[in-house]
Amino acid sequence: MNKVIEVEHLTKEYKKQKAVNNLSFTVQEGEILGLLGPNGSGKSTTINCILSLLKFQKGKIKIFGKEMTPSAYDIKKDIGVVFQEVAVFEELTVYENIDYFCGLYIKDRKKREQFILEAIDLVGLEHYQKFYPKQLSGGLLRRLNIACGIAHKPKLIFFDEPTVAVDPQSRNNILSGIETLRKNGATIIYTTHYMEEVEILCDRVMILDKGEMIASGTIAELKKLTNIEEKVTVEIANLKEKEQKKLKEFPNVMDVTYQNGLLIISYKKGQNNLLTLMDYLKENQINYQKIYSERPTLNDVFLELTGKELRD
Amino acid sequence: MTIFKTFLKVLNKNKGIVILYSAILIFFAAFSLQNNDNSMQFEKEKPSIAIRNRDQEEGFTKEFITYLKENSEVIELEDKEEAYLDALFYRNVNTIITIPEQFGENFVAQNNPEIEVKGTNSYESELTNLMIERYLKVAKIYFTISPSEENFQKIKETVEEEIKLEMTSKLNTNELKKMATYYNFANYSILAGCVYVICLILSSFKNEKIKKRTIISSVNEIKYNRILLMGNFLFAIVLWLFYCLISIVLIGNIMFTKQGIGCILNSLLFTLCAVTLSFLISNLIQNKNAINGIVNVIALGSSFLCGAFVPTELLPEMVQKVAHLLPSYYFINNNEKITSLENWNWEHLSPILLNTIILLFFSCLFVIITNYLTKKRRKQT
Amino acid sequence: MFFHNFKYTFKILFKNKSLIFWTFAFPIILGTLFYFAFSDIEKKEQFDRIQIAIIENELPNEIWNQALKELSEEGENQILQLQYTNIEQANKLLEEEKISGILILDSEQKLIVKKNGINETILKFAIEEIKQTETMLKNIIHSITYESQIQDTKNSINMTIQKILQMKTESMNNIKDVSVNNMSYTMIEYYTLIAMTCLYGGLLSMIAIQKNLANMGSVGKRSATSPTTKKTMILSSLLSSYLIQLIGIILLFLYTIFVLNVDYGNHFSFVVLLTLVGCFAGLSLGIFLASTLKSSENSKTGILLAITMFGCFLSGMMGITMKYVVDKNIPFINRINPANLITDGFYALYYYDTQTRFYHNVIGLLLISCFLIFISILFLRRQTYDNL
Repeated sequence: MNKVIEVEHLTKEYKKQKAVNNLSFTVQEGEILGLLGPNGSGKSTTINCILSLLKFQKGKIKIFGKEMTPSAYDIKKDIGVVFQEVAVFEELTVYENIDYFCGLYIKDRKKREQFILEAIDLVGLEHYQKFYPKQLSGGLLRRLNIACGIAHKPKLIFFDEPTVAVDPQSRNNILSGIETLRKNGATIIYTTHYMEEVEILCDRVMILDKGEMIASGTIAELKKLTNIEEKVTVEIANLKEKEQKKLKEFPNVMDVTYQNGLLIISYKKGQNNLLTLMDYLKENQINYQKIYSERPTLNDVFLELTGKELRD
Repeated sequence: MTIFKTFLKVLNKNKGIVILYSAILIFFAAFSLQNNDNSMQFEKEKPSIAIRNRDQEEGFTKEFITYLKENSEVIELEDKEEAYLDALFYRNVNTIITIPEQFGENFVAQNNPEIEVKGTNSYESELTNLMIERYLKVAKIYFTISPSEENFQKIKETVEEEIKLEMTSKLNTNELKKMATYYNFANYSILAGCVYVICLILSSFKNEKIKKRTIISSVNEIKYNRILLMGNFLFAIVLWLFYCLISIVLIGNIMFTKQGIGCILNSLLFTLCAVTLSFLISNLIQNKNAINGIVNVIALGSSFLCGAFVPTELLPEMVQKVAHLLPSYYFINNNEKITSLENWNWEHLSPILLNTIILLFFSCLFVIITNYLTKKRRKQT
Repeated sequence: MFFHNFKYTFKILFKNKSLIFWTFAFPIILGTLFYFAFSDIEKKEQFDRIQIAIIENELPNEIWNQALKELSEEGENQILQLQYTNIEQANKLLEEEKISGILILDSEQKLIVKKNGINETILKFAIEEIKQTETMLKNIIHSITYESQIQDTKNSINMTIQKILQMKTESMNNIKDVSVNNMSYTMIEYYTLIAMTCLYGGLLSMIAIQKNLANMGSVGKRSATSPTTKKTMILSSLLSSYLIQLIGIILLFLYTIFVLNVDYGNHFSFVVLLTLVGCFAGLSLGIFLASTLKSSENSKTGILLAITMFGCFLSGMMGITMKYVVDKNIPFINRINPANLITDGFYALYYYDTQTRFYHNVIGLLLISCFLIFISILFLRRQTYDNL
């Protein structure tokens, strides 16, 4: 497999603050790389640096094996970008907007026409071609934003939080659209702070915090990073402090939290955790409504690595 | 109180643009006062002219030039076409008089020589033309009757005749006129300032989400409007105070006369009217981008149509009639009336009072329409 | 790509309502206002008759009565509207400003006016004229009777009086007025209006350029990542905005010429040249603001409008004297004020027989434009930014 993007020692400083610090990574052809991190972790900055929109102090960036510069138009023609903010013209219709941006890449009118229709089809805006952005709902607008970025069939696509504040229906549409793009052979870099999306979509994940990479790998690999093996959640109306303390002393238990009637216990590796707990609850006549056990999520990984929630 | 505080906060957040805008508007007014044209009065200085004499300075020509020198300010210029034109262009002189060769001889001999005048088409140059015409006419008549040198004395005698003039008004017309000009300009400055700032601030309040929140809150809409109106009025008063303060600095003591106080009070009344109008407009427009356009159309429009920039009496009849529909007309009319007010009797005060009532009526009307609109809108949403 | 961007920029600008308002509708609205406000100024001065009360205390004075009658005769040349009355009534009328003055015809004549004003000045002038005619007549009659002791003096005197009065009313042919007649007060306003429209056109180039700049918004970022070169994007956008600017100004010309009956005089080709250059200055101002300032589109619009309005104010939009005051006292300001350079160029066309001054203005405008564009290029050359 070819390396589509090679980033070496990228460092970007705003005034004195380091937004990206000594970041190195590669992206393989045909994969979807998830770029995870809380707000302000340097995800967008990294993308803007790769795209040569931002100056950076140190580092080297290669795309398709060639060095990326602002005037590397032969590289740019194969890149598609979907920015975080909706970047469309209020004055143009859905069709015209896509045509405009697509037209900056593709000269041939007939070919363009076909590409536009395909893009519209992909994001599901068939019935809105003549609409102006103002007439579209938030979700539809996001879909238009995507269509504008990918209509020219780029080989490499950047998605910068394309699903922020989008209704579930549009989100599913967007995610399946990205899936289709990958099937058609595109390499994708996807930033978000929704980890469910990453779990569905991404082959590989990079977690950024304060401009530094704190973990990277496949989802399974990342999950191995955490010591948590199992998480048990119990719905209990009333739990005394004393009981909580006792629970902490159970074997394999890493952490116990009790909030809003939810008791969450994190376990290290070990066996029969759930059974031991249920026995204890029964013995002490603590009534509970539901009890369930889960495997750790990316969020748990993130929480453990950075000490904060992934989603702000 | 919360609403009021929020209002002040929003105002504070926009203070940069608000101060800048207000300052520019007041600066406009102050500047327009500096170049207030006083040329339309007979006590003014003599018109300035330039004479290009191609004739010998003797005989009739000499007489004529003496006359011109007595009745106008003759400016010496370099005898170059360019220099004359430049002087005319910059209004250093308002008329250039070219006396042709052998003008004097020919005139006395009744050969009808022509002198050439090139003016600026200003009032002053018109006056200069009349002055020249008068002299030449008188001279021509004398020479027609009897072509003799004795005429010079007679011509001089004749054109020096003056009518005895008595002016009944004891008012300082020049200063009062300045005052009227300045306060007429308030129609632009205060109106533009109020509409701009109030629309800007209220557009924050009218933000869709905030609007919904206020609608579901327990505050009565009329009361809500009233508090916002108060806030707006507070801003307008500050603007107005500055406006008046500048007038005292620029025009001076006359502002403390009855007429001066009258103008100040009249402008306060107009400020009230401007606030209520702005409030209504801010309720009518939805788009923040439209503010700039509306400000200019309303402020410039009413100023041109109601005579804030040009004296009302010079406006076409039709325009004057249309102007009656606008509050600005009554404000400006009141300024004119107040500045020429000499006797404090009912006969003179009643039209001023009537204008005042009409201005108040407009203010009330604007408030009522605003309240009606808010009520109606709430029901719709 | 050039044509593609050109076409779409055109569409985008044309559909932007507030842009079109400022560059198309506002000048036309303002022009209409000028038309209403100023159309009568020149006519008014001729047609308004001055009301005057006459009080005769003595035997009627033949010369005065005849002269007054002539001045108040109905028709084109009527200046006065007479009213013979007594002193109480006249005072009352003057007080109420129903009349401009009272003329008392006694052994000596006296004019009473209330205040200082246009009508009063004209009145004084007209009355003085009569008085001078009287003096002249007395002088001439005196000399006739003194010089010639002919029998039929009376006949001769009467004939002379007739002749004199006739000459008095006849228009003079000794004065040749070579003033530039086209330069009316209203024209000056239309010049500033054109200047304003040219500069407001900067809004178009500002918005057109903005969409290509990565540091000015998300659409700009998108354009910056496309394979179309920045030069192509910017040049095609500018061409498009300039074209719209021209359409706007052509509409304004058509409207003022055909609807408002404005006469731009004999130098129309020069007017067009100056307008084209003026539009270019507006264009460069727009580029300058778009590329150097980093603030919202709204506040940039506000800044451009404010600069233009201020420039127009200094070049005489709200009163022509303003221009002369600045020209005389702080000429530097008006030499770099594009609004003034445009209006000044128009004046120059009418005032001067040569075009030297006109070209000075054109060159001045071009220099300012080039300066602004030069600075802008320094900013526009950057492809990557420290901040987005």
